[in-house]
Amino acid sequence: MHVVIINGSPRVQKYSNTEKIIDSFAKGLSEKGASFERHAISDRKSWETIRDAYIKNEEILIAIPLYVECIPGLLLEFLETLPKKNEHTRISFLLQSGFAEGCQLRCGEEFLTKLPEYLGVRYGGCLVKGDNFGIRLFNEEKQEQLTKPYQAMGELFAEGDGFFREEAKKFTGPEYFSLPVRLIMQFAFKTLAKKMFQKVAASWGCTVPLDKKIWETESG
Amino acid sequence: MVLMIDTTVEHIGKQIAEELLHSGADPAGFELIDTVGMNISHCAGCNYCWLKTPGICVIKDDYAPILQKMSKADQVWLISDTHFGFVSYQTKNILDRVMPLVTMYLNFKDGQMRHVMRYDHQPDFGIIYTGDGDQAYLERWCGRVALNFGSSSLGVFPAENGKEAVSCML
Repeated sequence: MHVVIINGSPRVQKYSNTEKIIDSFAKGLSEKGASFERHAISDRKSWETIRDAYIKNEEILIAIPLYVECIPGLLLEFLETLPKKNEHTRISFLLQSGFAEGCQLRCGEEFLTKLPEYLGVRYGGCLVKGDNFGIRLFNEEKQEQLTKPYQAMGELFAEGDGFFREEAKKFTGPEYFSLPVRLIMQFAFKTLAKKMFQKVAASWGCTVPLDKKIWETESG
Repeated sequence: MVLMIDTTVEHIGKQIAEELLHSGADPAGFELIDTVGMNISHCAGCNYCWLKTPGICVIKDDYAPILQKMSKADQVWLISDTHFGFVSYQTKNILDRVMPLVTMYLNFKDGQMRHVMRYDHQPDFGIIYTGDGDQAYLERWCGRVALNFGSSSLGVFPAENGKEAVSCML
């Protein structure tokens, strides 16, 4: 199996969480003897090359960060430039997000289940998982640890059944968090998480409160 | 205030605005922004509007005034062509770039994680589309967009039924 992996994130590759996830996933592919090539749409100059790879290959995987309940605008623009292909080509998706629960990604997933038909190709399933916002904020070692679970999904994908197996479905984790978990997390949001974000912001050179109002709104 | 953001090639928003005036709407109560010819980039996902320059997008193009108007509007209508049954990338780019309106902080609302909003007032969202849109999917998406704002969906209307959308604006 030879997989064309396309990073559908508009963020520069160096800071792309999706890119780190692909690193781990691709390790899993190699582990099971599958080969792959990697592309990223964030640089428009590479679009011609990616289109070529899409046309010439039959196993396509697009890895995507969730942007406002669906796929990023830049990826939509790229997809509009693809020619129609046929059922010999299979397209699978890896959809990831910052929000942690499965329910947050389902609207985006529905779009992806329907997309292959518009492109004329076969659907290979969608691997869905959230809780990935923080990857870029950590050092390399911690990043590897956070993305490690994706390696097993790469191994699974190399077996040829796309993301239709039970293991891939379970990978999402909880659809919603239970009330006790939510209460604990809510507390963390207001304390630990808030502090952590403020610390990151300070290290990025931010000198104002993160909830600063830039302009006053009329009362609504 | 009703704000219409028209990205359609055929400038459908013009007809909707005329329809609104015919229906007796106060011209001061709505605004139409036609984005064709404007320079509006996609969101590059840099997270600066959350963590470096909170509330401010670092991309300097024609988008900032649109965002400010969206923030203050009671209703935001996305007037869009459709591809893959969904809104065009031009419209999606406009939505992807609303991130300065939300903060980095998180919260649980109705059992789901949400961002804490930067401002107190949130607009409702509606869609008017041309072409072969997937009505059911657009309704789901519009509802989810509104859910993220803690506001409501105004509904999704094919351009032929523009009159129905107009009745929601009055």
